[in-house]
Amino acid sequence: MRRLSALAIFLWLALPSLALASTSENPEEEFNPEHDFELGEWIPIHLGPIDLSINKAVAYLILGTICTIALGIFLMRARIGTKNEVGRRQAVGEMIYEIAQVQVAEQGLPHKAMGLWFPYVAALMLFIWTINMLGFIPLPLSTETFEIFGVELPTLAVYAATSSISVTLALALMTFVFTHVEGIRYNGVRKYFKSWIPDVPKAMYPLIIPLEILGQFMRLISLSVRLYANMLAGHMLILTFIGLIFVIGNLAIAVVAVPAAAAFYMFEVVIVVSIQAFIFAALSAIYIGSAIEPEH
Amino acid sequence: MFNLIAQEAASNVDAGKAIALALGIGLGSLGAGIGIGNIFGSMIQAVARQPELKGELTGIQWLGFALTEAVVFYGLIGGLLAFVLV
Repeated sequence: MRRLSALAIFLWLALPSLALASTSENPEEEFNPEHDFELGEWIPIHLGPIDLSINKAVAYLILGTICTIALGIFLMRARIGTKNEVGRRQAVGEMIYEIAQVQVAEQGLPHKAMGLWFPYVAALMLFIWTINMLGFIPLPLSTETFEIFGVELPTLAVYAATSSISVTLALALMTFVFTHVEGIRYNGVRKYFKSWIPDVPKAMYPLIIPLEILGQFMRLISLSVRLYANMLAGHMLILTFIGLIFVIGNLAIAVVAVPAAAAFYMFEVVIVVSIQAFIFAALSAIYIGSAIEPEH
Repeated sequence: MFNLIAQEAASNVDAGKAIALALGIGLGSLGAGIGIGNIFGSMIQAVARQPELKGELTGIQWLGFALTEAVVFYGLIGGLLAFVLV
């Protein structure tokens, strides 16, 4: 049974090669890894000037939301095990909970804010982990098609919603807004903005104050660009290595390119996906915590 | 004649862009490489001295790793922006 499932997973992961093999038949089409990150409108929805169309990233986000909710219910809500035994599912659920509590929330959030902001931080971690992970599973969510045994099938492609900056910027904006709302709510407007200014001589104020204000906005940029660029670069590395076969046009290069791409794939899946989810949640906790309890 | 000059200028611009992108990523990864080496080196020293602190240090280590590693990607994004906008 275990061998069978391993074989099934292997075949599933090997399937995109069919799609790549079929596109190589028309040589006019130039290989360009950036092409995979373009977002075409699938279902156009326009409300006045606002563009609410459903595109690839939105589809992945919806799927990611469903998967996150399902994961939470599957691991933490259902009645698990018999009597007092701890089942394997519960063990995994408790492990995730413990990471969210000890490693993420308690690093930054003060005790009095834990009840209100622990759910946000933990949900952020699980959600980003899920959409990052979905980005490395080949899914038939693509407008391109390929033909196999006379049947038109959508291409299996790897694409992460987090490799679009709009998604990560929206997530970072939530943290940014919550940080300042909570800072003002706990400390009052005057005390909160005063806490931004470090202890320096008054003569330094014209230099320090603009820098501190800029620093607050730099947090927003660094938080969003870190996640976005990590996922984009990871996907591009894998695609570029596979694409080398078509750029050079020699199948022998596959001996080097495919293992290299597989190695980067493993590195991304094992390390980068979890680290980025952890880091986003941990930094959100630290920012919110430091706004609620300023050091000076 | 003018056509040739225009072509050469265009190819020079492309070459400049390629060099800028490569320099951005290369110098970025140089810095990040040193930084990440420092973090893991210090982690090994710290755990070798006080193995009982390993659990607490791991979280801080990964935080530092991700913060440092992001520097490469600022270089990458800057380079890509130069490629697209200029």
